[in-house]
Parts: sequence; C-alpha cells; structure tokens
Amino acid sequence: MRGGSDPERKEVFTRRAVLFSGGVSLLFGGVAARLYHLQIARHDTFEDLALENQFNTRVITPLRGEIVDRFGVSLATNRQNFRVLLVPEETSDPAEALQKIANFVDLPPARRDRILREIRRTGGVNPVQVVDNLDWDEFSKISFARPELEGTLPEVGETRAYPFSSATAFVVGYVGAVTDRDLQAENQEEERVLLRQPGFKVGRDGLERTYERELRGVAGAMQVKVNAHGRVLKEYREEAVQPEQGRTLALTIDAELQMAAMKELEGESASAVVIDIETGDVLVLASTPAFDPNLFNTGIPADLWKEFNESPYKPLLNKPLGGVYPPGSTFKAVSAIAAQRSGVKTNHSVRCLGRFWYGNRYFHCWKQGGHGYVDMKASLKHSCDTFYYDIAQTLDIDLLADTATKLGLGQSYNLGIPGERAGVMPSRAWKAEYYAGDPENQKWYPGETLSAIIGQGAVTSTPLQLAVMAARVASGREIRPRIVRMIGDTVTKQPTFAQIDIDQGYFDVVRAGMNAVTNEGGTAARSRLENPEWQLAGKTGTSQVYRITAEERAKGLTKPEQLPWERRDHALFICFAPYESPRYACSVVIEHGIGGARAAGPKAREIMRAVMQKDPARIPAIGPAAIAARGSTDAREPGRGA
Amino acid sequence: MTSIQLPSGRRELRDYILRLHWPLMIALSMIAGAGVLTLYSVAGGSWSPWALKHGLRFAATLGLMVAMSFVAIRYWMALAYPLYFAALFALALVPVIGEVNMGAQRWLEFGGFQFQPSEAMKIGLVMGLARYYHSLRSEQVSNILYLAPPLAMIGAPVGLVFIQPDLGTSLLLAASGFSIVLLAGLSWRITFFGGFLAVVGAYFAYRFEILKPYQLERIFTFLDPDRDPLGQGYQLLQSKIGIGSGGLTGKGFMEGSQAQLRFLPEMQTDFIFIVFGEEFGFVGAMFLLGLYLSVVIMGALIALKSRSHFARLVSMGVVITFALYVLINTGMVIGLAPVVGVPLPLVSYGGTVMLTIMAGFGLVMSAHSSRDQEISGILV
Repeated sequence: MRGGSDPERKEVFTRRAVLFSGGVSLLFGGVAARLYHLQIARHDTFEDLALENQFNTRVITPLRGEIVDRFGVSLATNRQNFRVLLVPEETSDPAEALQKIANFVDLPPARRDRILREIRRTGGVNPVQVVDNLDWDEFSKISFARPELEGTLPEVGETRAYPFSSATAFVVGYVGAVTDRDLQAENQEEERVLLRQPGFKVGRDGLERTYERELRGVAGAMQVKVNAHGRVLKEYREEAVQPEQGRTLALTIDAELQMAAMKELEGESASAVVIDIETGDVLVLASTPAFDPNLFNTGIPADLWKEFNESPYKPLLNKPLGGVYPPGSTFKAVSAIAAQRSGVKTNHSVRCLGRFWYGNRYFHCWKQGGHGYVDMKASLKHSCDTFYYDIAQTLDIDLLADTATKLGLGQSYNLGIPGERAGVMPSRAWKAEYYAGDPENQKWYPGETLSAIIGQGAVTSTPLQLAVMAARVASGREIRPRIVRMIGDTVTKQPTFAQIDIDQGYFDVVRAGMNAVTNEGGTAARSRLENPEWQLAGKTGTSQVYRITAEERAKGLTKPEQLPWERRDHALFICFAPYESPRYACSVVIEHGIGGARAAGPKAREIMRAVMQKDPARIPAIGPAAIAARGSTDAREPGRGA
Repeated sequence: MTSIQLPSGRRELRDYILRLHWPLMIALSMIAGAGVLTLYSVAGGSWSPWALKHGLRFAATLGLMVAMSFVAIRYWMALAYPLYFAALFALALVPVIGEVNMGAQRWLEFGGFQFQPSEAMKIGLVMGLARYYHSLRSEQVSNILYLAPPLAMIGAPVGLVFIQPDLGTSLLLAASGFSIVLLAGLSWRITFFGGFLAVVGAYFAYRFEILKPYQLERIFTFLDPDRDPLGQGYQLLQSKIGIGSGGLTGKGFMEGSQAQLRFLPEMQTDFIFIVFGEEFGFVGAMFLLGLYLSVVIMGALIALKSRSHFARLVSMGVVITFALYVLINTGMVIGLAPVVGVPLPLVSYGGTVMLTIMAGFGLVMSAHSSRDQEISGILV
C-alpha cells in the first residue's frame, strides 16, 4: 500500500535515474576521449617510449690480446673462468640459496655474509659473483644441480693466466681490477663503459700496463631486450657488433731460455740479461726472486704484499731494469777504451805492487802483493786495478763518461717495462748538477776518477746496461735492446745499429782481454765454455757494498763471508759469445754474491751454454701470418650491466 | 493429475529461464571473457595462475546470479536489513580479529576462508538503503528527521572501512550510498548544502592529518605526476606508455611489451585495463567500455521498468556501484583519477570483488524477473 501508490516518488526516481545514467554515459565518454588522446593522438610518443623501455645495449667485453714469446709460446693468455653468479631477484631468500650452493663449492660463512651485504647494497638488481675459478668438476656438479638451486647462474667467463708464472712476471707484468683513477684517466666514454664491466681487468704492471691500449681490444655491443628489472630476456646475437680481441704482443724473449736462466739464478737475489747482438732482441730478462702474477689477478693478498715489501731479496723489484749496482771491474772494458782514446797505447805497462799511492792515501788493488808488470790486455785478464789507477792520473773524467755513455751506460732504453732506471755515469757536468745546492762539492777531484775508473764511486748501472755494454764492446755497434717484436701483425722495424763513434781498433784489446779472462787462465777461467765453437769472452766484476774498516781488519775480519749478507759485495759478470763472431751478450748480477768470478761467472756460463746450445737467432721467429692465425675473435657472453 | 502437474512444473522452470535477462548475462560473460583473455596474456600465455581460476570463479558466480534471480525480489527486501547489519557487524569485527594485509586490516578469516566484510557491505548498504526508502513517502524523503537514519547507515560502514584504512572502498561506499539517497528524491537544496559541508570537512581532514601520508601522496601525485617519478608517478607514466603505445588496433594478443616485460604494476589486478588497451588498442578498449556501458544501460532500464520501489533503488544502486568501479579504475590507470586501488569489475583478478558484483547483478536479475510485482506490505 505504502509502496506503489506514490506516483511522485516514481517520477522523481525516473528523472534522477535517467540523469544518473546520462551522467555515467558522459563520464564514459570522458574516458573514451582520454583514450583517444593517448592511443591515437599521442600514439607515436608512447610507442617510442615503449621501445626505449624494452631495448638496451649490452657491452660485449673483448678478449685481451695474448703476449707470446719470440716463437709464439704464450706468456700471458686467457683462461676460461668457471664461475657462479646469483641472481637475487630469482631467489626467495638469497641466504638460503647461498647455503645450498655451499653444498657444492667451498663457501665459508664470512664469504656468504659479504655476498649478502653486496646484494643488500645494490638492491638485489644485479647478479653477484658467488665464486670463481672453479675447476671443471665443481662447475659441472653445480651446473647439473642448477634446477634445484634457485637463482644460481653458472657461467663461463675469462681470466688472465700466466703459464710461466714467476719466470716472466717482470716481463709481462700482471692485470688488476679497474680503479677510480683508471676511470678518471680515461676520456672516451665507450672505454669507460668497458672499464665498468664487472670483473674487467686492466694492465697493472709490466708490458700489460704499457701496452694496455693494444692488448685491451675493442668492445662489441649487442641489443638486448630487458624487462622492467633490467634482466636480459632476449639477445639479438645476429645483429651484434662483435668485439675485437686485443692485439697479440710478440716479444723477443725466448721463454725456454728465460726458464733456464731463472732456474740458474734460483735461490739468489739476482738478475740475468741476454741480448742478441745482431738485432738487439732481449732473449732473457730474468730477475729472482719473483712473484707469481697469477696470484695478483684477483688482488694481491695483504699479508703476501707485506711479506714481499719487507723481504731483503726484494721480490717486487725488477732487478735487470730497476736494480742499480756499481759495475765494478766490468767497467774496465770502458776504461780500457777511454784510455786508448786519451792516447794510452795497449802496450803501456804498469808495475802493480798491490797498492797505489795517490794524493794522501793508498788505493788498493784487489790482489794483495800485486800483479807485477801488466799491460792493457793483462789488466783486463787479471782485472788489475793498479793499471787503471795509473791511467786515471791523466785521464779526463769527461772522456771516461763519454766512453761509458757510448758503450751504453747511464741511460735508459725505454724497453716498455715500467721501472727502468738510467743509473749514473758521473762527469763534471753531472757532479755540478748533482751538488747544485752545494757549491763547495761541485768540483770534480782527480781522486774521484780513480774510483770511477774501476766502476766504483758514483758509477752505477743496471744489468740491462751491462748486457748492452757487453754487446757494444763485442760488436763496436750502438746496439739498442728491444723486447717487443710485433704488435698484432705489425713487425716493429728492425733497427740497424751504426758503428760507435770510437776508433774500432780500440775494441780489439778489450775483446782479447775478455777472451783471456775465460780462456787464457784469467780471473774467470772456471767460466770457460769447453766447446770451441761457443768460445765465451767475459769480464768479472765485484762491486763493493761495504768497506771493511781497519779496526775490523785488526779484529781478524778479512773474509767477506764473515760479513752479514747485506754487506757482502755484489758479484757481476758480463760476456759475449762466440768470441770470433759475437752473437749473444750476457750480464749476470748476483746481489751480495761476493765475487764475480766465483758467483756470477759460472751462472753466466750455464746460461750462455743453454743459449749457444739452442742458438735461438738461427730459428725463425713467429711471423705476422702465424700471429693473425692464432688471434680468433669468438662470440662472447655479454657483460652484465648496461 | 500427476501427468499434468509434471509438465506444468517443467514449464515453470522454463518460464524462469525465459524470464532471465539474457542480453545482460551475455554482456557480463563477454566482459569476464575479456578478463580471462587478458589474465592469460599477463601470465605470459598461461592458464595459471590467474586465467583459469578467473573463468571458473565467473562460472560459479554466474550460477549464483541465476540462482538469486529465481528468488523473488520481495524476499530479498525481507533480507535487506539483516544482511546490512550482518555486514556492519563483520566490519566492526575486522579491527579486532582481522588479518593485516599490506598495512591495512581488511580481511576476516574463518578456517582458511578469507572474507572481506567491506565487499559484502557494498551490497548490504545498497539493500539496506533501498529497503529504508521503500517504506518512505516522497514528502518524507527530504525531511531532516528521516534523513538521519540513512546518513547513519552510510556513515557507519564508511567510517569503519576508512579506518582499516581503505580510502578507495570507503569513498566508493559513500558515493553509492549517497546516489541512492539522491535517487530516492532528496531535494537538491539539501544535497548542495551537504556537499558544501563535505568540502569543509575534507579541508579539516587535511588540516588535522586524518588521511594517511600515502593517501595524501596519491592525491598529490595525481595532481602533479612529476612529483615522484619512480613511485606513483612512475606507475602512471608506464601505464600511459602502455596504453598509448597500443595505438588504434593494439600490439596484438600477448604482444604488449609493457605488460610482457613487467613494466606495468599490478597488471593482473588494478592495472589490467592497460594490458588490454596495449594489446587490443583503442578499438578493443572502446569495445570493452561499450560492453560496460551496455550493462549500465540495461541495468538502468530494468530499474526503470520495475514496479516496486525497492527493486528500482536496488537495481540502480548496483548499476551505479558497478559504473563507479569502471570509471574510477579506468580513470585511475589513464591518469584521470587518483590511484586508489579499485579493480576493474569482472576483468581484474580477485574473487571477492567478482562475488560482490555478481551478487549485485543477481539482485538486478531478480528485480527483472519480478518486474511486474508490486511489494505491498512487509514480509517477515
């Protein structure tokens, strides 16, 4: 009764229901208009934005160029690195996922905590590396178990490997992680993008560092389709720009001989350099003790670094290039030539009494009691100091310095390995400059020439310079050493060495004297190579580190063996072979080895025996075609991160 | 005369079926079908986890709707107040024993079965108010004394839902409640005065920080999407990119890059319209909107043709609630309304809302079947 019998109520409802329906329809029209605006009018804009959303460019890291020896033996190469990544967004609980992975590989709790912290820090967007350098067994196990391990991504990456380990550490150097400084130093954005790839390494020392640009290669790029989280869903491999592997660096080093030299020097703090006299090729550049660059790949462990730095044997010092030593009696090769340049004849004869009075004191010859009468050849053969003291009285220091420089001392050769030092060849100009702030000391005193002429005093040299000196003495030419033969397939130009601007006749007596040292019962008669075709000519050197005082001598300290190791004399030896037609020059320096004849000579002999036996100059080195054939650029996994 | 009675019984069933509003059922089914299709696409071409369940739920609630339509509208009127108060009681229980979900208590749980009282209230409020106005004469409607009970009936659930807190649903409840009051014939003068009071109230709500920070943030982001490029604004931008890149005819089924690559938020629920619009374009979106509008028009026609006032008000209330869902959701995802978390009816994944909508249309269908029946007097 109350219900239907109220026509006004129905009327009002009808009006308002129609009004509401109309209003709703209008609002629907508003939505439709908005859709028209978005989907038709502004479609192009949003289509572009949608495309931009879904496509990303991924960098494909190039393989680093190899470093090989003169015959193509790998000194630095790339090894597959089996590693396991965790994709945090694919796991329900990363901690649990790591726990499961720990069942397959060694993953101590401390390492797990570090990974979890990294996930938290990055917001869990990027995959994180859990372990790397797995062996094949571990890797295949974890790959097999992958379906049970959520978010686990076994992957094959690349890592640098140095097959000769410590033997070539100072030649090739090593690579390390990219630092902020590297990024700042890089001014090309493409290169910076490459440097930012996770796990990317750059050369930290040695040739790896010097030739970083050549070895790095050129990054490739690939379009990838990503989801909103940045995860790669699809790779457009066909359209990818392939990366270019870095260029191969072919060295002059002979890995086999390098190993032989390292073995010979084992247990000593020493260096050895062998140079091909014809080409300047450095065949051996050995330094002991040395570190294993493979350990440095993943960052140098702090305790090892400390141990290396504190060791008196200086395992981080590249001794052939960075070690400077007084050349001692090996310098007499220079002195004998300088003497001739000053007018002294080879038959000039001096009576050695074991000591020489000059100024206000005695200068001692190494041999107590003296050598008796010695001429120039004998002075080399027996390494008589008195002969040179006598010459020094009239020899101008600048002529000595000029001769030393022409024979290769007091300069660096920019081999390409960081840390090469120039040593010192004193002269008047040098002294004036050295004592620039101390005018009283700037004058050169004749007594100083007496020290310099036997390779003591201010004279210092590197083992590389000593080898160059031996090569220059042997050939009379301006031999310049080199260590890089080819960059990629570009052969570095074979230099021709001009004759040294010194009367070539002056060299003869030095060569003959050096021959006498080893083959005519001289100071290094023990270092003679028996094979007549390998006839070795050498010169011993003993450079004083510590002068035994009169007081100590009075106490009975006469033998160097009684001194502590770090006060003993350095032992040096330079040589070349074969005597008649010199091809190889060598220097050996044994730190605190006491005597050149006793410590350095035999080692040089063994190294040269190996060199002469192999005669590497006779074997054709690897050519551009062979280099090109081994550098294969393969398709790589794209790097992670944009 | 059993041989006569049986055919007549059968004929009665056929009669019921013939009296069903088939066009409305077909339109609803097509909308739900669009939902199944889109959910299949959102899952990357898979029936699980959403599409199959969505279809099954629709089938079940369609059955419920048909069953409800078999019950004459007068019985529903008799149930109106009990249902309203049951829903209100359940709402009051939520803060006491409810489940906390995403910072808000919205659910009650009985032995693994989740129940959202605010959804039941959407039907309960419509029924309760329709029941109330059914008994009022036209001259009583604008009487302040008679206005108090419906205001309380609206205010109580709106307040309870608001403190859960669920701004979207509370606004939706208030809007559909006041729509019924207006449809019942409240004078425009009182309406505008009430509107003025509401604006003043909103100002004080803002001043005294009654809204949660995230709710304010949503409103501000709506007003200026650049405020927060990676929060609400980011979602809105990605939504616009999604629907805008769809163009006239769309990128094709399962080809929507924004959706398939997960650039869109909450694709299976609130933002599903974007997926549909991206994959089926302007043409598809217009077709879906047309279906919704046809449901609204058909519902309104049923209301207009009903002879009982309760049936009219209930039908129109359900239709308006339904329309509000559609408008708020589509408006929200294309940047015309704030992001308040309202699903797209029958397309968004979610059982409770679907149940609410279909139960509502069950009442509309019942009104349609009983359109010639006048309800005189009160049953029960």
